[in-house]
Amino acid sequence: MSGRTKQTKDEGNSLDRRGFLKAATLAGTGAVAQTVVGAEVGAAEGSTTQSPARHTVQITSRESEQGTPHHDGTTQTSCGSDFMVDVMRGLGIEYVAAIPGNTFKGLHESVINYGMTSAPALELISCMHEEISVAISHGYAKIAGKPMACMMHSTVGLQHGAMALYNAWADRVPVFAIVGAQLDASKRGGYVDWAHSVFDGPGLVRDFTKWDDTPISLRHFAESATRAHKFSMTPPYGPTVLAVDQELQEDDIKGGETLVIPREPQIAPPRGEDGAVNETARLLVAAENPLIIADRAARTPEGLRLMVALAEELQAAVVDIYGRMNFPWRHPLNQTRRQALLVSNADVILGLELTDFWGVTKAAQGAKRISISAGDLYMKSNYQDFDRFTPVEIAIAADAEATLPALIEAVRKLISPRRRTALKARGAQLAKDHQEALEQSRAAAAVGWDLQPITTARLCAEIYEQIRNEDWALCNGTIFQNNWPQQLWTANHHYQYIGDAGAYGLGYLPGASVGAALAHRKHGRLAVAIGGDGDLMFTPGALWTAAHHRIPLLYVVHNNRAYHQEVMFVQMMAAKRQRGITRAHIGNTITDPNVDFAKLAASMGVYAEGPITDPKDLGPALQRAVAVVKRGEPALVDVISQGR
Amino acid sequence: MRPICAPALLASLVCFAVAAAAADPTAGAGGDPANGKRVFFADGCFYCHGTTGAGGGIAGPRLAPNPLPLEGVKAKVRTASGRMPVYSPAVLKDAEIADIVAYLQSIPKGKEAKDIPLLSR
Repeated sequence: MSGRTKQTKDEGNSLDRRGFLKAATLAGTGAVAQTVVGAEVGAAEGSTTQSPARHTVQITSRESEQGTPHHDGTTQTSCGSDFMVDVMRGLGIEYVAAIPGNTFKGLHESVINYGMTSAPALELISCMHEEISVAISHGYAKIAGKPMACMMHSTVGLQHGAMALYNAWADRVPVFAIVGAQLDASKRGGYVDWAHSVFDGPGLVRDFTKWDDTPISLRHFAESATRAHKFSMTPPYGPTVLAVDQELQEDDIKGGETLVIPREPQIAPPRGEDGAVNETARLLVAAENPLIIADRAARTPEGLRLMVALAEELQAAVVDIYGRMNFPWRHPLNQTRRQALLVSNADVILGLELTDFWGVTKAAQGAKRISISAGDLYMKSNYQDFDRFTPVEIAIAADAEATLPALIEAVRKLISPRRRTALKARGAQLAKDHQEALEQSRAAAAVGWDLQPITTARLCAEIYEQIRNEDWALCNGTIFQNNWPQQLWTANHHYQYIGDAGAYGLGYLPGASVGAALAHRKHGRLAVAIGGDGDLMFTPGALWTAAHHRIPLLYVVHNNRAYHQEVMFVQMMAAKRQRGITRAHIGNTITDPNVDFAKLAASMGVYAEGPITDPKDLGPALQRAVAVVKRGEPALVDVISQGR
Repeated sequence: MRPICAPALLASLVCFAVAAAAADPTAGAGGDPANGKRVFFADGCFYCHGTTGAGGGIAGPRLAPNPLPLEGVKAKVRTASGRMPVYSPAVLKDAEIADIVAYLQSIPKGKEAKDIPLLSR
């Protein structure tokens, strides 16, 4: 963040901005001349009279009453959408994902002919579905630490992208969304334009976006874009939407209009109040069995470092809910596998950016609960992703990561030498417990090692064998693989894990993993995703985007040939109603015919292997796929696997 | 599509798995393992517990090798809690449960973790 902010403020873009303003002034002159020419053309086509209000009134044919499509047949020397491109790159935006739509054709043209051909580049990422465009932006932001843009067509485009925006909202991720708009009804053409016009487009997603606006001038656009970016990057992060008028994009820049790209401030996340932080520290230091539970606590690499610092200072157990890379997976204080026991025994529980505080701590026996969460700053109510109300002793409405430095300092001051000795003994016991839990995980992973369908433990162990000596990064949540990566792999870097969809909306991973891999590409990391077959069937077009843009990504299909979890729910219903359970698979399985994901991927230019059924074949297939990815291309391996 | 991660459920499943591992695998079922396998698949047990009862983590605990004795399995089936459905005799007969247990008992133990290099990383 700070690097980009400096670039915007200082010399980084100032030349670009000055250059643009110079061009805008020249273009303004051209725009005035063009207006005059346009009036002459109008006069030649029909009879005109001069009105008292000093504008031309034209009374002509039925055709002219109905109007014609906007600006056809003229040439321009400036356009609003070029300025919009400058605004976006001034905000540090490097990519914009989109499937074309005529309500943003002006912006589309500016991105490809101006944004992509001048520095700093704003590159268009071609997509096959708006849900993928948003999901790419979602995954990208979790690695890049800043939003990229996505453009969507008015009405139908945003409707396609809406679920993905909800995922980003629930996952607290910034997305800079732009949706085209044709606000002037007199400029709309036939029925398609009318079907694709809406008075308040962003209203569709207002319940699950942080902010939206419909700017009516370029200056308004610049201010609103900067405001949207600032809001999206102020914890709690979230998506924003700008509805951008077609004419604002496509028209010449009016002469005399002063265009300014506002400076974006350095964003200071909300930090916990000192008194509450000190009381939290006092409770934690005095506790015999304190437990730190983190969900989306570490927003940045610094957040991960701070998490380790706090845990080590207290020698306290940490349970990771896996919303982010909150804690190194093999750190001795990582006690995630002992969650149930630790929650039950805890006397103080510190919840950091927990989405479901109630769910993860309901087994606690009289523990004092403390919450630090920017989630308390959310002010929406219709969608219920804030989860069940949990009584806590202290609720600190603040960003956990930003609050950790003060909390660590307060804890440090309170620990006496004698207390430190006691804490050290607790840490030694936790380290032993961690090792025992690891051995238990390994023993559990060995069960069914040679089975067909392949176990998820074997699947994850085989993947790790191929990537463990690389600079790898996992791009998926792992709940559907029984969290085996966290149980069996070693991960120490923040970028090595980014959590899941947020709202568990299917279709997330194909796009999000491509977006994350896009952000990893310039660092040369080996991006890996393990995703379900059902999820991939929602948005397979993301594979084409990966192939088209040469985005290196190893995509492993955990193919259990079912919407697996739902089978159990239908079984439950059928059992309750005593109507037999042998038909519960109907509507849940993805068989007859089986989907051939290797062929699907290959059809879109992605190297692919599978279906892999024999566990002995898995390692070599993955090895070949990794070699492809290391060459800078995507690869897919379809693995017929157990359900979980 | 909410995840299955309630701590109480986890605790229940962990207890179930631990009990399964500690139980006497020969405590009699007397059922037909071939029919047990058929029922295990036909009734969809494998979706959560794996095709050989190896388990599916939080979706379904490990059932084999070393399954619970027949009475333990029957108690779980008839009085399940959490996500595990309760199956009445009208849905799953006592004899079918015995067959399933016989199938689970027939499943060999397999390799130890220490004998698998990939699990020592």
